[in-house]
Amino acid sequence: MSTTYDGGRQLGRLTIHDDAQQMIDRAREEGIETVWDRLHAQEPQCGYCQLGLSCRNCAMGPCRVDPFGEGPQRGVCGADADVIVARNLGRTIAAGASSHSDHGRDILEVFGEMARGETSSYRVTDEAKLRRIADEVGVATEGRDTKDVAIDLADELMANYGSAKGSLSFVGRLPQLRREKWAGLGITPRGIDRENVEMMHRTHMGVDNDYVNLLLHGLRTALADGWGGSMIATELSDIMFGTPSPVTSEVNLGVLSTDQVNIAMHGHNPLLSDVILAAAQDPELLELARSFGATGINIVGLCCTGNELLMRKGVHMAGNHLMQELVLVTGALEAMVVDYQCIMPSVVDVAKCYHTQVISTSDKAKFPGATHVSFDPRRGAEIAREIVRIAVEAYPNRNHDRVRIPVAPVKMMGGFSVEAILGALGGTPQPLIDAIVAGSIRGAVAVVGCNNPKLAQDFEHIELTRKLIENDILVLVTGCAAVANGKAGQMMPDSADLAGPGLRAVCRSLGIPPVLHMGSCVDNSRIMQLAAALANALGVDIDSLPLAGAAPEWYSEKAVAIGAYVVASGITTVLGVQPPIFGSANVVSLLAGGLDDVVGAKFAVEPDPYKAALLIRGHIESKRQGLGLTFIAPADIRDAEPAVAGASSQG
Amino acid sequence: MQTVFINPERCIGCLQCEIACAVEHSTSRDLAQAFHERPLPRKRVHVEPGPVATTSFPNKCRHCDPAPCQRVCPTGAISRDAGGDLVLIDPARCIGCAMCAVVCPFDVVTFHPLAGALGPDSLVAVKCDGCKERLDRGEVPACVESCKVDALVFGDLNELIAKGRLRESNAVLSAAGFSATAGPSGDPLAGWRAFGIARATVDDAAQDVWNRRRREAARVGAQPGNGNDSKENNGATREEGAS
Repeated sequence: MSTTYDGGRQLGRLTIHDDAQQMIDRAREEGIETVWDRLHAQEPQCGYCQLGLSCRNCAMGPCRVDPFGEGPQRGVCGADADVIVARNLGRTIAAGASSHSDHGRDILEVFGEMARGETSSYRVTDEAKLRRIADEVGVATEGRDTKDVAIDLADELMANYGSAKGSLSFVGRLPQLRREKWAGLGITPRGIDRENVEMMHRTHMGVDNDYVNLLLHGLRTALADGWGGSMIATELSDIMFGTPSPVTSEVNLGVLSTDQVNIAMHGHNPLLSDVILAAAQDPELLELARSFGATGINIVGLCCTGNELLMRKGVHMAGNHLMQELVLVTGALEAMVVDYQCIMPSVVDVAKCYHTQVISTSDKAKFPGATHVSFDPRRGAEIAREIVRIAVEAYPNRNHDRVRIPVAPVKMMGGFSVEAILGALGGTPQPLIDAIVAGSIRGAVAVVGCNNPKLAQDFEHIELTRKLIENDILVLVTGCAAVANGKAGQMMPDSADLAGPGLRAVCRSLGIPPVLHMGSCVDNSRIMQLAAALANALGVDIDSLPLAGAAPEWYSEKAVAIGAYVVASGITTVLGVQPPIFGSANVVSLLAGGLDDVVGAKFAVEPDPYKAALLIRGHIESKRQGLGLTFIAPADIRDAEPAVAGASSQG
Repeated sequence: MQTVFINPERCIGCLQCEIACAVEHSTSRDLAQAFHERPLPRKRVHVEPGPVATTSFPNKCRHCDPAPCQRVCPTGAISRDAGGDLVLIDPARCIGCAMCAVVCPFDVVTFHPLAGALGPDSLVAVKCDGCKERLDRGEVPACVESCKVDALVFGDLNELIAKGRLRESNAVLSAAGFSATAGPSGDPLAGWRAFGIARATVDDAAQDVWNRRRREAARVGAQPGNGNDSKENNGATREEGAS
């Protein structure tokens, strides 16, 4: 795929995938409005908001600072551009961190109910992991019942949400040097809810009026997500639903079936999707489906609920964020079952054009126009059957003449938990470290984050990832980025052919793809854990490692929180979409520069995937140099590809 | 004459037109880069507050003909464009005397240090240039594109005025109790409610009336105005489809 870059947007192209494009065309033919139409209607978008220069925090306002200097330079309260931008960014981080952490709490609550025997829908699937985590956070395990260990672990982790503790349980996973750095800066996360609440407090008018102090607390708030809420979500999901191990799946709209009841699981939380999957095997419901002429019940995933299912069960994946409306346009979906996060309110409107039932399940996420089935985990299995029944009963309403499943699915591999990666390496990170020291693998990059209709869907994810693996950089993916790479065929063991010679050899010997699927967006905590394990094995801080992060197509507040905890953990991160901070030169200079001196990592913004790849390669080589490893001098880092004759080489 | 027309009662004071104008007149045409440029790009539309809260007026050059500013400019820096619709300022000939601002009936000329006739940082008169480059590309002016509430609209002057008049007419007659669906209701309260709704409705109702008149006019061989934008065509199609 040698696509000439034209400013990130691939002018005239909304997506680079055939399945998506066919459905967009069909939506247009049928007069169905999609995310791209709505973006177009919003353009040009608010300039103040794009720069972060508007403040709605109080009723003396709303206020705006004029970036061109003619109009007001301060809000009514006196806040200047720096304070307004920092406040806004702080609240964005708090919203993102709260989302992951509330998801984590939902898992934790059910884990506690399960431990106390209050629900029969869930059980401990990975007992070894339960005991390992309990040991790690100081819960006694020796000679104790699984049930008692689980109850104490639930209580211990629940204490992470308040502020009873000095610091979060999982901070102990970090290298000593990193913990000292955080303590020195005063950004060690103390309590998950506490940091979020404190951020809301600090950004109230007249509290924290120092943009540096605000941004530091932004990092602490994000850390309470990455090493708190998200990490709890990941670890407990593994204990309850199984720790992922390599599994092959299929991806794109081709995973829908022409003759089965298709149910798409959309959202983020595995509590619901796991029991739905079980209900889809229910003989009575299968019989009902057959009585309507369907040959079975086909569960497919969307977004991160889909990733949770793919990682643990190999469930097929229909698509990522920007596919959620298009999957409905196939006309082949009986139900879209949603929990929360990233579910566009518009799916209800698109579904109305077909026989598709949208079924909302979380009492904190209702969708007018959808059928709401309140999900109570204590009756999980029963409610799951009720939901699947609604889907099955919609099958007779399917208009088979309107069904259009555009393409054949592509194979992808998932399931690379930290445990699975270490397992593939023989139980220790040493072989990976050896490969990095030898230079056959130059380093590793986490390519994560969302889709954003401002960019051609998945273009940046795929091109950046490919450029990195071509240059012997191992890529770890989660969330929408994983789906993008899967669709592009970059995530099978055979995809090692796309990698440079060093990485290819390592992948071949281990039988793994050069792009490893590590899970949903809360599972970015797996990447943090892996980075900490590598640093601990080498006896250095994380910021010394040849690692980087990238969120090429991010859109969500959660992505901002992720970016902030990745950077605060010592990993430099490149964003493909400009965050709303450019109204303050001071904030930009701190985040894109000064932060490096403080936490050993910083942010960069680069929408061109080829330039971003060069930037990341330069960063990784400089870290190799810092570790005394072989490195490529900056002048020698250039792109191997001017691929197409006549196409100008990227600059 | 094609022009930017203002519906001040629709302005919500969001200032997007100001930002869009400044970016349009920057070198980079990119928001995040524009305000780092020196000299700073300047807005040429000014949203000033009205007498009560939540009222504001996006004020800009009306491109008068004859233009008082052009008449009094001692250096001949102000001229009309070839088409004759726009009044333009040549900064290289401007000496910053401000005579144009003195006589401007709308107070829309402002002065900024740019490269004028008196040196690199001399004051130069800055005002709306009608987004001439955008019009040449077939686009509407940047301020109009950025306005989400139709406070700033672009089109043929008389057509835009007529649309407003039709909206007013529709509103008044709604107040008097006439309804397109139910006929006279005899309920004065309902009438005034209808007045409010009709008054606040962007040209839809008026547009229908306008389309009908255009079609009737076309039938007898006369065209009111020369507007031919796609919105009107769509309106006409919709109506024909419905009848």
